[in-house]
Formats: sequence, C-alpha cells, structure tokens
Amino acid sequence: MKNPERDEQLDAKGASRRKFLRTTAAGVGAAAGVPAAAEAFDFETFFQKNFRSMSDEEIDELTDRLARKYEKKYGKPFDVQATGPVDNVVFGYGLDISRCIGCRRCVDACVQENNQSRDPEIQWIRVLEFERERVVRGFELEDGNPYYDHEQAPAEGMVYLPIACQHCEDSPCTNVCPTGATWEEPDGIVVIDYDWCIGCRYCMAACPYGARHFNWAEPNIPADEVNTNIHPLGNRPRGRGVVEKCSFCIQRVRDGRYPACHEACPVGARKFGNLLDPNSEISYLLKNKRTFVLKAELNTRPKFFYFYG
Amino acid sequence: MADDDPGEVGDQSQPGGLATWVVLGLAVVLVLGLLSLRCALGPDAARSYPSRTLPPEPLPVLLPPPEMNDEYMPCDDCHEGEPTNPTPRELEDDHEETVLAHGDLWCLRCHDTDQRDNLRLSNGTLVDFEDSWKLCTQCHGQRLEEWKAGVHGKRTGHWWGAKEYWTCVACHDPHSPVFKPIEPKPPPVRPSSITWKPRIEPEETDREEP
Amino acid sequence: MKVYLAEFWHFSKESLALVTRGSHGYMAWLALLVMMILGGAWAYSNQLSFGLVTSNMRDPVSWGFYIGNFAFLVGVAAAAVILIIPAYIYNWGPIREVALLGELLAISAIIMCMLFVTIDIGRPEMVWHMMPGVGTPNFPYSLLVWDVFVLSAYFVLNFFVATYLVFMSYTGRKYNPAFIMPIIFLSIPLAISIHTVTAFLFMGLKARPFWNEAILAPRFLASAFCSGPALLVLIFQVLRKVRPIQISDAALRKIGELLAYAMAINLFLLGCEVFKEFYSHSHHIIHAQFQWFSLEGGYGIAGYSLFALTCNVTAFVIFIVPAFRNRIPVLLCGCVLAVAGVYVEKGLGLLLPGLTPDVIGEVYRYTPSLNELMVGAGIWGVGLLSFTFMAKISIAITLGEFGYRRT
Repeated sequence: MKNPERDEQLDAKGASRRKFLRTTAAGVGAAAGVPAAAEAFDFETFFQKNFRSMSDEEIDELTDRLARKYEKKYGKPFDVQATGPVDNVVFGYGLDISRCIGCRRCVDACVQENNQSRDPEIQWIRVLEFERERVVRGFELEDGNPYYDHEQAPAEGMVYLPIACQHCEDSPCTNVCPTGATWEEPDGIVVIDYDWCIGCRYCMAACPYGARHFNWAEPNIPADEVNTNIHPLGNRPRGRGVVEKCSFCIQRVRDGRYPACHEACPVGARKFGNLLDPNSEISYLLKNKRTFVLKAELNTRPKFFYFYG
Repeated sequence: MADDDPGEVGDQSQPGGLATWVVLGLAVVLVLGLLSLRCALGPDAARSYPSRTLPPEPLPVLLPPPEMNDEYMPCDDCHEGEPTNPTPRELEDDHEETVLAHGDLWCLRCHDTDQRDNLRLSNGTLVDFEDSWKLCTQCHGQRLEEWKAGVHGKRTGHWWGAKEYWTCVACHDPHSPVFKPIEPKPPPVRPSSITWKPRIEPEETDREEP
Repeated sequence: MKVYLAEFWHFSKESLALVTRGSHGYMAWLALLVMMILGGAWAYSNQLSFGLVTSNMRDPVSWGFYIGNFAFLVGVAAAAVILIIPAYIYNWGPIREVALLGELLAISAIIMCMLFVTIDIGRPEMVWHMMPGVGTPNFPYSLLVWDVFVLSAYFVLNFFVATYLVFMSYTGRKYNPAFIMPIIFLSIPLAISIHTVTAFLFMGLKARPFWNEAILAPRFLASAFCSGPALLVLIFQVLRKVRPIQISDAALRKIGELLAYAMAINLFLLGCEVFKEFYSHSHHIIHAQFQWFSLEGGYGIAGYSLFALTCNVTAFVIFIVPAFRNRIPVLLCGCVLAVAGVYVEKGLGLLLPGLTPDVIGEVYRYTPSLNELMVGAGIWGVGLLSFTFMAKISIAITLGEFGYRRT
C-alpha cells in the first residue's frame, strides 16, 4: 500500500503546495516566515499561572491579554471567551464507519476552525484508508494509509477511519504530563494549557491514538484565514514548541453548537452530543448500534465511538 | 596502590557514624512522608467552575430540499395536460440524462399520475416535494427511526439548541440515492517533507526589500 | 568553619588555575572539546531560532537522538557509582582507589543527562513549571517529575561526596568515614533508582507495546552495568597513559570480570525479549520486526541492531574467557565494543523501535539531523570537559602535585 513512487510524487506535491502557502503567507505580513523572536518576550505570559490555578479575575486578564496579543499580530479584533463547562454534560462523539467516504472535509474544517498551522502543516484529524478486504479482520492501524490521493473518494474497495483525540476518560497523556498542563475538564474534554506546556512531548509518546501534534517550528496562519472566535483552552493560535490537539471544538460545543468537523461532514457520519442525556443522538447510538473504540485493550476508555450505521 | 592484593583491608571501613545515619534516615523518612502525603491528596482537582446551564431547546427545523434547477424542474413545466403512459420503459428525450437507479422504481411509484407536482403516498395522500421524507420513509422505516433519533442523516447547528435536520433529499438524490464519490481534499504533508532550511531564503529576500 | 571556607575559596581558585594549564596534548584535547561545545552552541542557537524543526524528530517519532543519549547516559551515571559496592563494602583495595573517578564520571554523565533533557524540550525557559513551589509538578503521576527529582538528588549527592573527598585530600586531611560513608552508601540505592525511574518513564506507556514490558527496567540496569564500567576501564587506560597515576591491571581485570556477569545478564534478557516477541507473534511484533529487519522498503535500524548485537556478543566472549580478559589490550577492545554496543542498543536502538511504526501505524524513518548531531556533540563536549577538569584536579592531588599546606 505504501508505494515509494507515489510517496515521491506526494512529497513533491507537498513541497510545491508549501511553497505556494509560503508566498501567500509572506504577503500577509508579520505573521509569516519570521522564525526567531517573532513575539517579543512577554513578562505577563511568562509568569502566568497554570490555567487551573487561576481565579476568575486572572482568567479575565488572560482573555484580555490574548485578545490584545492576537489583534496586534493578525490586525483584526478577536473574541476570546473562556467559557466554562455546562452542568450535567459529558461530551461523546460517534463516527459511522459505514458512511465515511474519506473526503477529508472534516480535516479541512478543523484546520480552519481551530487555527492549525498551515506551514508547517498541522492537522488534528487523520483519515486512514484501509482495504475493505483486510478490515474484515478488524482495523490493524499499520495497514492504514493517510496519504491516499485519489481523484474521487471513496475509492473502490476502500474504507476510511478518521482519527483525532479520543478524549479518554483515563487519559495516558494527562497522567504523564510533568507540569499538569493538560487535564480532563468536567465535561470530559481533554484540554491543554498552551501557556503552561513546556513541550517535552512525553504526552505524545503516551498517546495511543497519535492525537497530539507538536509545533516543531513557528506556526503560520494567514491573517485573512484566522478564526477570531477563540477559547484559551481550544482554538487560540498556539506558539512554537508546544503540543496541541483536538478539543472537541471547546469554543463551539460549550455554547451548544456542533463541532466544526460534524458540521462539515457531507455524509452525516459524525454524531455528537451529551452522554449524560438519555435522549441525545450519542446515547441513542450507544444503546442501539454496534459500537467499538480504538485500542479498547488499553483501557483508556475513549469517549469517541466508532459504529456501523 | 600497585599492590593488587584483593584482600587488602582499609582502615576507613567502619560503617559510619550514628549521627549521619540518623540525619539521613530522618531525611529519607521526611521525603517519603511528603511523597505519600502528596499521593494521598491526589492530583490537582480540575478548576471548579460556576454552575452553568444552557437555555431550553427550540424545536428543530427541517432543512428544505435543494431548489429546483435546470436538472430538476417541476414535472408540470413540461408534462402539464399530457396523457399519462404508466408503463415502465427506457427514458428518452429530455430524460436521457436522468439516471433512475432507485431499486426498480418507476417514476409513478412516487410521483402522482395526475398531479405531477405532488408525490403520492401509498395510501393515496398527496404530499409536496418539500415533505418528500414522508414518502421515502414509507419504505425506509428503519431509517426514519434512526433519522428521528439523529443517528442516520445529518444535523447541523447545535447539539443543544436550534437544530437543522437534513431531510432525505438534502443528501440523497431521490432518483439515484447512492452517494456519488467526490473529490477529496489534498493529503497531509509527510513528516519527512517538513524542513526548516528553505524557510530562511524568502525571509532574507524580504529583508533586503525596502 | 571559617578556616574551611577560606580553604575552600583557595581550593576553588587554585583548581581553576590548575585546569587551564597543562601539556600540549592536554591543551589540544581542551581545544577539541571547546570546538565541539562551540559547534553545539551554534547548532543550539539554530534550534532556538527555528524551533525543534531543526531536528529530524517529527510527530510520528517525537523523541530521538537526544532522549536516546539521555537513556544511555543515565545508565553510565548509575553504573559508575556501582563500583563503589566492591570498593567500599568488600574493601577491595585496587578498585577503591579508583572509585572516586567513578563518581566523577557519574557527575559528568548527570550533567549531560540534564542538558540532553533540557535541549529536547520545546520551551526550555518554562521548565520552572514543573518545579515544586513555583510550578505545578504533576507528582506523583508523571514519571518525568520523578526522574528530575531523583537525578537532581543523585547529582547533588555525588557532587557533594566528590567535592568533599577531593577537598579533604587537597587540604591534607583525612576524610571522616563516619560522616561520609552513610552518604556514599545512600548513593547506591539512588544509582539504582535513577535508572529504574528512567526505565519506568518508558515502561509505563501503554501506547508503546515495545516499551511496555516489565523486562525493560532490569534490561536497563544490566546494560548500564555493561556500559558504565566499560567506559571507566577505557578512561582509566587513557588516564594512566597520560598521567603517572597507578591503576593496576588487576583493577581493570576485576572490572572485566564484573562486565562478564553484567553482559551475560544483558544478553539473556535480550534473548528473553526476542523470544517473547517472535514466538508469540502478536501484532505488536511489528516493532521488533522494525528493530531487526527494518520492515520493507527503506532505511531501518536493523543494521544498527545487528551491529549492537555483534558488539555485545563479542564483548561478552572477551570478558568471560579469562585468557582474553587478562590481556589488557584485548580487554580494552572488549570495553570499546561493550560501550558501542550499549550506546546503540540503548540509544536509538531503544527509542526508534518503540516509536516506529507510530501508534496509528505510520512508518517515519528517523535519522538524526546534522544540527541534532552537533547539539549532541556539544553536550558530550561539556560532559567530557567537566570530567577532564575534575579528573585533572583529583589526580593532581593524588599525585601530590596539587595541595594546600596548612600553616
């Protein structure tokens, strides 16, 4: 499946695409291409507390500071809301394996919504392609290919498995973090404090789902594409040297909205809702459908369920 | 030291003074005590948030089917007043392009014979195109249940709050309901093609420009 | 007390003067190390300006050369001190005289460990986030916090013991065994614990089946007891060539014997692991296949793994056969092989199969980038330089060239 010739073509394609992105980014201005000391040393950010130890006032100061910082960087106003969790809500996600066509619309929507770096490219969702014949024995992730490049999806005889953060109830990544910069919120969302992370990448070694991504270089988002509705624990633009991941679109779901990938899915394969509400879509599918979680044997208890619709 | 007699016994061999042992012992006990205390207290609890609820949900909205267009126009635009031939046959003339691939259904199984701009349920009730889901779900009852529960089909808007339910024809072409493949978005960049060297060049040229 | 302080001040000043003087060979060695350090500093400045993208680590292989060196050096640090057991507990003379050098090696190794961890993190200026008091260390859950704690404790302890011993002999006093012996004894369990905790750091990750095995900690210790003493033998050989200190052949042979046991256990544990992987043939075998056969199509580490295995087996034969072991040149070859073998086996040989293929099956074939190698070389430069300085001072005192005459 991993064809070296195609790999080369893909690499070349990736390179030219990045070149293009770089040129556009350079036109956008200050945010582009400047690696070192792109942001001046910020005393307040440096001595900022762990988000979990902050008082309400300190969180207000944080949101103000982030709004000022990003407005300066991207030249447009930002709406920063540190919305808290909703009572009696624990989020769960369902994904219909029999529907997914591997079109990567969710990846695209996620990148846009969550201000992922365009160059170097970071994508929180990875869509793996499997040969249907092999999947009858279960998904062996080693057989998956995220680099498929077809004219049309789904390709004949292929099935697709999108993977992002599984928001485990017993999350290995939060256990290993040396600074307590990542934790599970009361509504079940595993979040990262992007000002507190030191970038040791222990969580990346611990995550069984490859959900965590590191900012190897200064991330770049063209100013005209940046999403200005941000949450400090979610889609705020990140800095170099920190780990980032899916937050179930915390900035949307805590206001009752669906995550961006859910909205983008053209086949309705994605389901989202409150696990504690017996009438929610997610509760219905857990009761009535054949579901499975990835790597159940690891006892991470993901809140991301795959099912056959 | 040239002597390599392994049996040599040094004179500093006493196991150490009581005082140092006591101090070290106390230090070890203190450290272990603090550790177990920290373990007993558990990890930092998540931040305590003020209680928060969301407003009650409004009723869901059904997403209307796609607008009529050149491909799908009201039947009566052409067929008004024409006599009806109910026999299934090859589609021809303007319908050559129309793909009918919905089981072995023929037009008039769903479209009303006389009121062509209506659909006809099996009990004879006429429904608008807008309410086509009522017709679809006559056969696809299981899907109706799942659609109502939100497991089949697509919803947009809010998981709690204003919801749009996409109806059958919002996603499926009723004449050929199987999903058509679409062009996928580009594949991710391979980790091996993420480099840092080339990024210096445009930056330097940028600097030279006034 | 005041006398001690004055003397210590004098000691520090004189030591500084001492280490900057020396033969041409010594100066050339220093020049080489300084060049390595400067190269490393330049490479690290690249890393600071551009980020860790200057390394070849990427999301699928998020730890690489740096952490590999860290794992190896923790072993060296732990094992160097293990020589204390025969030296002090069994009062075996020849080794006791060289045990101090073992402590010095341990100190240098820990310095390198700490540097390797520091340069590996994305935002080194934020490390205070894991310090108790000012930060929020995720204790006791994060093994990384444990590791930082035990490494710091181990460093402080060894640094104190070595400074105390050297300073006492500098001032011509006899060290007070009642004071120092308990501390030396305490460093033995700490030596075991730094390496155990480092093994736990990898072992605890259920996402990585290649590491998530109980055998990892014993294997870490066994391989550490190969690499550490072997490195010491090599260092002793160099030192006794360049300085007129007397380190007996008997001491080297004794260490060689110790190495035979350690290597036997190391190879046995490796055999257990290989058997378990290939006989049970679960789908986790893919990591072992990557380790020994590189998987299909492309660069892999099979060559390195086989190289390490060959080195270790040859070294074992040399150590176990008295006729080989007792010939010093052959013993030295064995030590070189053991160090090389363990360096590869425990560095990238441990890291890469654990991370490749990654948790969702992607095979990213990592090799360290030039920049990464230069930073690593710079850190080795710092470690070797600190060891050179400390060894020079302690040897000069032993030889009676350097001392303080109390009036």
